[in-house]
Amino acid sequence: MIDTITSAFYRVMIYDDRWRMWLSGLELTLTVTFFALLVGLLAGLTLAIVRVTYDSSAKPNPLLIILNRFAKLYISAIRGIPMVVQLLVWALVILAASRNSFLIATLAFGFNSGAYVSEVFRAGIASIDKGQSEAGRSLGLSYAQTMLKIILPQAIKNCLPAFGNEFISLLKETSIAGMAAIADVTQVGNIIRGRTFDPAPLFFVAAIYLILVLFLEFLIRQMEKALNKSDRRTGKPIAKLKRKGLVRND
Amino acid sequence: MIKVIGLSKKFDDLEVLKGIDEEILQGEKVVIIGPSGSGKSTFLRCLNLMEFPTGGEILFEGENVAGYRKGKQLNAHRQRIGMVFQHFNLFPHLSVIENITLAPVMLKKSTKAEALRNAARLLDRIGLAEKAANYPATLSGGQKQRVAIVRALAMEPKVMLFDEPTSALDPEMVGEVLDLIGDLADEGMTMVLVTHEMGFAREVGSRILFMDEGKIVEQAEPTTFFTNPQSPRLQDFLAKVV
Ligand SMILES: Nc1ncnc2c1ncn2[C@@H]1O[C@H](COP(=O)(O)OP(=O)(O)OP(=O)(O)O)[C@@H](O)[C@H]1O
Ligand SMILES: [Mg+2]
Repeated sequence: MIDTITSAFYRVMIYDDRWRMWLSGLELTLTVTFFALLVGLLAGLTLAIVRVTYDSSAKPNPLLIILNRFAKLYISAIRGIPMVVQLLVWALVILAASRNSFLIATLAFGFNSGAYVSEVFRAGIASIDKGQSEAGRSLGLSYAQTMLKIILPQAIKNCLPAFGNEFISLLKETSIAGMAAIADVTQVGNIIRGRTFDPAPLFFVAAIYLILVLFLEFLIRQMEKALNKSDRRTGKPIAKLKRKGLVRND
Repeated sequence: MIKVIGLSKKFDDLEVLKGIDEEILQGEKVVIIGPSGSGKSTFLRCLNLMEFPTGGEILFEGENVAGYRKGKQLNAHRQRIGMVFQHFNLFPHLSVIENITLAPVMLKKSTKAEALRNAARLLDRIGLAEKAANYPATLSGGQKQRVAIVRALAMEPKVMLFDEPTSALDPEMVGEVLDLIGDLADEGMTMVLVTHEMGFAREVGSRILFMDEGKIVEQAEPTTFFTNPQSPRLQDFLAKVV
């Protein structure tokens, strides 16, 4: 048993310096996941703001109507087309001239993620009590100021755990990158499997994802705990305010 | 200060305000009472254009604001009117002092330092100076509402609107909020107040309006209002609530 594992480890990792391939595959998987999440968050936030603003305005202006149409179309297209197909479209059509796998994968997965993230943001914004925007507007703040300073900070905070989960989904989803000949960790496993002629590399791939996901889940739980605590906190600015003599020392 | 002429408001087919004529003078404390659904909140919210009137005029210091719909005019009008809500609506992600300074700073009413000093002074006045850095979740209901009131005051409004400011409070906290509102009244603040606290209405009000079914049915100064109601509907209403 031990012998089998050591010899598998040798074949899969050590022989021919294969660990280098694993490392670069893992790096690509992680960086693509991370930057795709960023692209997804930005795209998702933009889409969500367009849709929420449209929904909340009695008489939307023409630009907003067009943007809202586009947002809806975008979201249904992304949801209706399989991810593999989207990936191939990016690799073979939109960025056909590029040989930068990182860029192709980041944009393909990022813009895909954006459609889903926008719905998370929308739900997050909708979950904020109407009284919050009323209070802001009654003070004379504009719609944009109220959104920026009052609604979004609360909505984003509520969405953080969901974004953690989106990160996990993305991580797993990027495993199809090999379909566009992108050497992520799964693809590296496939290449090595083609040389070892046994399923051992596949187990390695599975173990890598599992460990990553368990670790991320652990981080999300910690973050949720910290967020719950922060609901009943005393503020960060206390030291600063004390220095300025605006808060009494107790 | 505010003159309302033929004000009406419809929500789709539902006519909530049916032609209101009213004038609120500088320094007056106008109290509005009436049954649930009679349009008290809607009337209040039309004054600072949180609801857009569907008919009539609202003259604020002679300027007809009823048609303001977006941008600068609307926000500028709201800045000169403070509003206090039943459910406080403090910003939970900001500390108490940030709640107070947010609007004055964002709207460039004062510099950050001035706004902080002013907020500290306001907090001191309501005895909550040591809570400046706390988040709203750590305050009692009465403390939240008092912070909400000074948050509105920080914009130095010309009029304050209160919509049932004590209805969501535990009974033992009603007093501290009413005391603060009473102090403001004594200082000469013009205010329009919707409340179910008849004792307070009588004490602080310079004039009481009775609203029913989207109209102001009757009005008088407090003593006459409570001791000598004219219309049967007001007599009915007072019999039920007092
Ligand atoms: N945004 C809205 N859309 C549709 N109908 C509304 C809206 N706001 C208020 N109404 C309706 O207008 C009527 C008057 O409401 P309003 O809140 O002004 O009454 P109120 O006198 O303040 O009552 P309460 O004492 O219960 O607060 C009610 O029938 C209410 O359902
Ligand atoms: Mg009401």
